[in-house]
This record gives sequence, C-alpha cells and structure tokens, in this order.
Amino acid sequence: MKKTGKGIGIMFYGTGYGNGYPDISRAKAKIDTDGRFTISSGACEVGQGAKTSLAQIPAEILGILTKEVIFDHEDTKTTLDAGTCAASRQTYNTGNAMKMASESLKRILESKAREILNLSEEEPLVFDNHEVIVEGDPSKRISFKQIANTADVGDLEVVEIFQAVTTKMNEETGEGNPYWPYTFGACGVEVVVDTETGTLDISKAILVQDVGRAVNPKLIEGQMDGGFAMAQGYALLEDLNIVKGEIKHHNFTKYLIPTALDAVEVKKIIVEDPESSAPFGAKGIGEPVMIPVAPAILNAIYDAVGVRITEIPVTPEKLLKAIKEVG
Amino acid sequence: MKTINLKINGRKRQIEIEENERLLDIIREGFHLTGTKEGCGEGECGACSVLLNGKLVNACMIMAFQAEDSEVITIEGLGENEKLDPIQQAFIDTGAVQCGFCTPGMVLSAKALLMKNPTPTKQEIRRGISGNLCRCTGYEKIVEAVELAAKRIAETD
Ligand code: FES
Ligand code: FES
Repeated sequence: MKKTGKGIGIMFYGTGYGNGYPDISRAKAKIDTDGRFTISSGACEVGQGAKTSLAQIPAEILGILTKEVIFDHEDTKTTLDAGTCAASRQTYNTGNAMKMASESLKRILESKAREILNLSEEEPLVFDNHEVIVEGDPSKRISFKQIANTADVGDLEVVEIFQAVTTKMNEETGEGNPYWPYTFGACGVEVVVDTETGTLDISKAILVQDVGRAVNPKLIEGQMDGGFAMAQGYALLEDLNIVKGEIKHHNFTKYLIPTALDAVEVKKIIVEDPESSAPFGAKGIGEPVMIPVAPAILNAIYDAVGVRITEIPVTPEKLLKAIKEVG
Repeated sequence: MKTINLKINGRKRQIEIEENERLLDIIREGFHLTGTKEGCGEGECGACSVLLNGKLVNACMIMAFQAEDSEVITIEGLGENEKLDPIQQAFIDTGAVQCGFCTPGMVLSAKALLMKNPTPTKQEIRRGISGNLCRCTGYEKIVEAVELAAKRIAETD
C-alpha cells in the first residue's frame, strides 16, 4: 500500500568557526598605474561561487562592473590569508574584509580627487566607470588612472582585516555569544511510502533559506538544490558502514549518492532580511541549506506510516522493519 | 609496449602504450588532455566520460589498446576555436557548474544524448545523465542547461 505523509524541519545555524576561536579574513585592494582595480584575498573558489559573488562587493562600492574587478584569490603566494572555505564563512567574513578594503580605497581615491581637482570637503562625489565625478557638475572629473599617475607607489593600496565577533560559551550555563551571525531555514516535504517494499519517493519539496541579502540569486538557488540533494542522500542512502574502524562502503557501488533520477524538483524560497553586520547584509548559506532536510523527511515518514525513525540513512530494509514492528 | 594510432579530437595521433594502461591514462597522461577526470576509476561516476566512435563510454573502463584506430572526442574537442559548444554555453548560462569536477563528463553525456535524441523530455534528460554523479548541484540546473542547449540547437538548425 502507498501512504503519503508530510513533514517539516526548521533550523538555525551559527556562521563561522565560533566559540571564541579567532575568525579572521584579510583583503588587499589597490589601483594600479593603468587605473585598474585589483582585490586580493585568500578565499578559495571551490564551486560555491566565491569568485563570482565576492567580486560583486567591491564592484558595487567602486561603481565598476563585476567583470572589471581583478580578483586575485586563493594563491598563497600573492594573497593574504582569509581563513578556510568552511563554516559557511566566506561571504560574511571575507565579504566584510573586501568591503572594508574597497571602502578604504574609495576614501583614499576621494581625498586624492579633492586634492587634485581643488574641491572642498562638502562637494559630493560619485564613482562611475573608473572615474570620480563631482555630483551635479560632471565637467569636474578625474579617472582612477589619472589619480594613480600622480600618486606615490603604495598610496593606492590598502589592507583591511575583519574579525568576526565570537566569545566562548560558558559550558555550565550555556551563556555566551559563540556565533555571529545566525542563519535560519526551513524545509517541507511530502513523501509517498510503499509499505510493502519500504521504499519512498519524495513527491514534493520546498526549501526556504534566509540569506540576509541575495548577492547572487542564481548561485544561491544552485546551492539550495545541491544542499537538498546532499541531504536527501544523507537521510536515505549514504552510509559509510564503518566496521571496527574500517569503511566498508568505500566505493559508489556501495556508498550510494542521489543520481539525476533520484533528485527532486525543489521549490526554493529565498528570504532576504539584511544582517546589519554583514557586507550589504549578506550571509553564507553553504551548510545551512542542507540542515533542515533530513528532519523534514523523517517527520514526513512519521506522518505517513506512524513510525519514528531515529537512525539514518532510512534504507528500505530499516523502514520495512520499523513498519512491521508497529504492525 | 605497443604503438597505436587513433584520432583524438579530430587529429590523427600515434602513441606508445603499456598493455595495462586505460584509455583514461593515455588521454590524461599521454595527450595531457586533463579535462577528462578520474573520479572513481571503476565505472561508477561518469567523470571520465568521453565519446568513443560516437558512443559515450567511461574512459576508465576501456583499455588503451581497445582504442586502436578509433575516434575519441574529449571535452577539449567540443566547440570550434573560441566558440563553445551550445551545451557548454548553456551550462555557463544556467549556472550548472559548481566545483566543475563532474562537468566535462556531464557535458559529453548530454552531447551523446542530444545526438541520439535532439528533443528530450526532462525525464529523458535525467535518465540520460543518470550515469554521471554530481555532488554539488542537485542536478536541477544541469537538467535545465541540457533543455536550454536542446532548444538553442533546434533554433539554429
Ligand atoms: S572515473 Fe570512470 S566512471 Fe568514475
Ligand atoms: S559541480 Fe561539483 S560534482 Fe558536479
């Protein structure tokens, strides 16, 4: 018999290393003699989209196009340490360092422009297409390149360091501020359980993710789909089967992960609620997107067949046995 | 040691092979075409997918000597000069690439599918790429990319 059930899972996630561990990102911003803007930071592109979304931050600040940003990343010879690509921290931590460095460089460019163009402190300036322009009087303008040609070596180069707020939690009382910021999410699924075989299909899925500010919605959707599929594997398929310290499921014949045929179409909802301490409000979502999915699936199983599964992955054998036990 | 002839990405080549070398080894180590990846080495992940005489194969499961006098297309052989294959372009446009490890195999798998079936349904696309594992994307944007590529190819024909 086929039985249908619905379940939800909700979660919050603390960004970064947390619990008092120093969580630091560095970035260097500079204008070269050709007027080109370079930002360098040791953040690694591992497929999460750091290269794309982080470069959008200085572009926004300096009024240039993202593709004009020369972003030097991950090369330890040329970049400053920005910590690991872990703990969903790069958007927030390195994003903040890059924002700070770009803003400092912008201030330097502004003051150089005022000096060269003989402008008072009050005159409002705008940045557009590698130029600093007096707002309302566009005849007064100077390009980054012109500024660079009058500046001394090293003048148009600035390093900023961002350190996340984290304190050690009091283990006795549970008090403290171990993480900042937090990210929130929810998942809802509908499953159809075959009570004769113990197999189940996810017939509907919805994933809701708070992102602070969506720097790049397409990348976020990609991470949400990926997080869901990974969690689906975690809940239903993936088992290292460690026996006496030895991994028995050491290949893809035994360690199963979802294929394109297992993957379900997930309805994705991105919630934007800008985080005040984050770069343009944006928070990382690498890990958060995976967290609420397995609980939602387990709750849906309970709703469908009335059994509480407490061990994952929920293989057909396990589910069938549990169904038989409750009769 | 044995010398074999084959055509790889449209070019006639000759290469010395060891008897126990796989097609994957000569592609990567012999011809330095490192777009083809080794994920599992046992025919389970599809990261090493290439076209052998127009058919999709796992290059880790084919011995090098079996490729004698054959025609091999790897990811480097798609597209013309600076112009990407429509499938590659669609992968970029839809955001179907995350870490990229599965991507060359996925693109070739999609290529093989569209050569056989230029107007696949979503489900046919899913089946067509089901031998290629992806840990990052959840496949959704990859399926979208293949749909988009099929549409664009149909429009230009
Ligand atoms: S490396 Fe050939 S299938 Fe995995
Ligand atoms: S994009 Fe990373 S495995 Fe597919």
